[in-house]
Amino acid sequence: MSTPGPERVPSSVKVGKTTGQGKPPAGGAKSSGAKPGGNRPAKAGGGKGRKPVTPVKAAGGRNLGPIAVAGVVVLIAVGIIGYAVFGSVKQSKDAATPWEEKAAAISGIVDYRKSEPDLVKGSQHKSGVIAYKQSPPVAGEHNPSWQNCNGDIYTQPIANEHAVHSLEHGAVWVTYKQGLPADQVAKLADRVKGKEKLLMSPVANLTNNVSLQAWGYQLKVDSVDDPRIDEFIRALRINASVEGPTAACDGGITATGTTPQDAGTPMGK
Amino acid sequence: MTLTYDEGAATAVDDPIAEPAAGRSGRPGYWLPVALVVGLLLGVAIGYLIPRGGTPADNSPEAGFARDMSTHHTQAVEMGMIAYTRATNADVRTMARDIALTQQGQIGMMQAWLQEWNLSPTGSQPPMAWMPDGAAAVRNGLMPGMATPAELEQLRQATGLDEDRLFLRLMIQHHLGGIHMSQAVLGTSKEKEVTEAAQLAINNQQRELTDMQALEKSLGAKP
Repeated sequence: MSTPGPERVPSSVKVGKTTGQGKPPAGGAKSSGAKPGGNRPAKAGGGKGRKPVTPVKAAGGRNLGPIAVAGVVVLIAVGIIGYAVFGSVKQSKDAATPWEEKAAAISGIVDYRKSEPDLVKGSQHKSGVIAYKQSPPVAGEHNPSWQNCNGDIYTQPIANEHAVHSLEHGAVWVTYKQGLPADQVAKLADRVKGKEKLLMSPVANLTNNVSLQAWGYQLKVDSVDDPRIDEFIRALRINASVEGPTAACDGGITATGTTPQDAGTPMGK
Repeated sequence: MTLTYDEGAATAVDDPIAEPAAGRSGRPGYWLPVALVVGLLLGVAIGYLIPRGGTPADNSPEAGFARDMSTHHTQAVEMGMIAYTRATNADVRTMARDIALTQQGQIGMMQAWLQEWNLSPTGSQPPMAWMPDGAAAVRNGLMPGMATPAELEQLRQATGLDEDRLFLRLMIQHHLGGIHMSQAVLGTSKEKEVTEAAQLAINNQQRELTDMQALEKSLGAKP
């Protein structure tokens, strides 16, 4: 232990040198961080400026130093740019996909915005009972009052006339066949509870176990574990709103029962 | 980012490489590829270390905060509007109205961030995943301080001063949870618009907490 003592001195000097060599790139990274602004023009100029130098020196024969330097510099640039491009492409691929495309990619989804453009325009309010072509309905005229849709879980059927109004405000309406076993209902409720722009209720005589509605969209599945349920909610909740992301879900009808509550107001006769 | 390589990295690399080059001009074939590989690795490393100039990513704390706080605020708006409509005490109704309007405005702001960042208002992460130890803070699927569906129903049904007292109790609890979440994003984010808004929310809600606790005292026992 004590004998190698003196030898440590030169070795530590070496370490100092290597770290010194390592520093410049790090310094470069820092300086770049300091000025994130006008980077593009400088890069283009630099890359072009250095390349022509390479062949000229190569003609001289042995003197490969400048070529190597230029090559290394170019590769560093390629590495930085490549990493940045790779990173941003990887990140934004999913996030930047428009919600309409995400919805369209869900197999089995029915897009009434395409097939029934008139139905899915923002609709006037209308009181009383309204007949809908789709079951459960996905859009169209509706009562002035919406069904409360801040993650509300209704254990009895609710009125279409209010639920459709909730869809217009960007809610996804999760419906299940009335009588579905409680453990399966609970799995659906976990996705809904306490989350704004969601509501859930049973529907009598539903053709499938689960049917999801957003304004102009519908997806029917048979299993509560179907991954498309989450995909549908992720793509269409809030996004499908006809009135933007801040349309209200509170202050709505919280009662159940399929008879609509708005019997006749000046706003919706 | 590329400016870097020009001014910083280029000059930086010059020295260490040039020195061995001069010393071993006889055997260039060996070190040249090595130097190139080292250069490429350096470039990738620099690219990795440089902070992103871009906007928050889809699963960033900022995006998680914007989404989850929108949900959290939405319930405060709902409770505030119920109390504004139904409470008896004038100060409680004023407080309820103030909270509802302020937080509804903040929801709009947070939704605008997500649009600005080109992100969906809906995320793929579970609630509170953006927050350190956030998953543990989720109770029964609800974020910290949030009222249960049963409590909300109670608030809708309560009458007289019971309404006022229940609102105060639920909103105090809601504010405590909200402040906790805002403090968490202050600790993880450097995005200025996010941290400023979080700090503002903390300041507002702490003042409101003090006021609501005073109101609670003046109205007597909790329901």
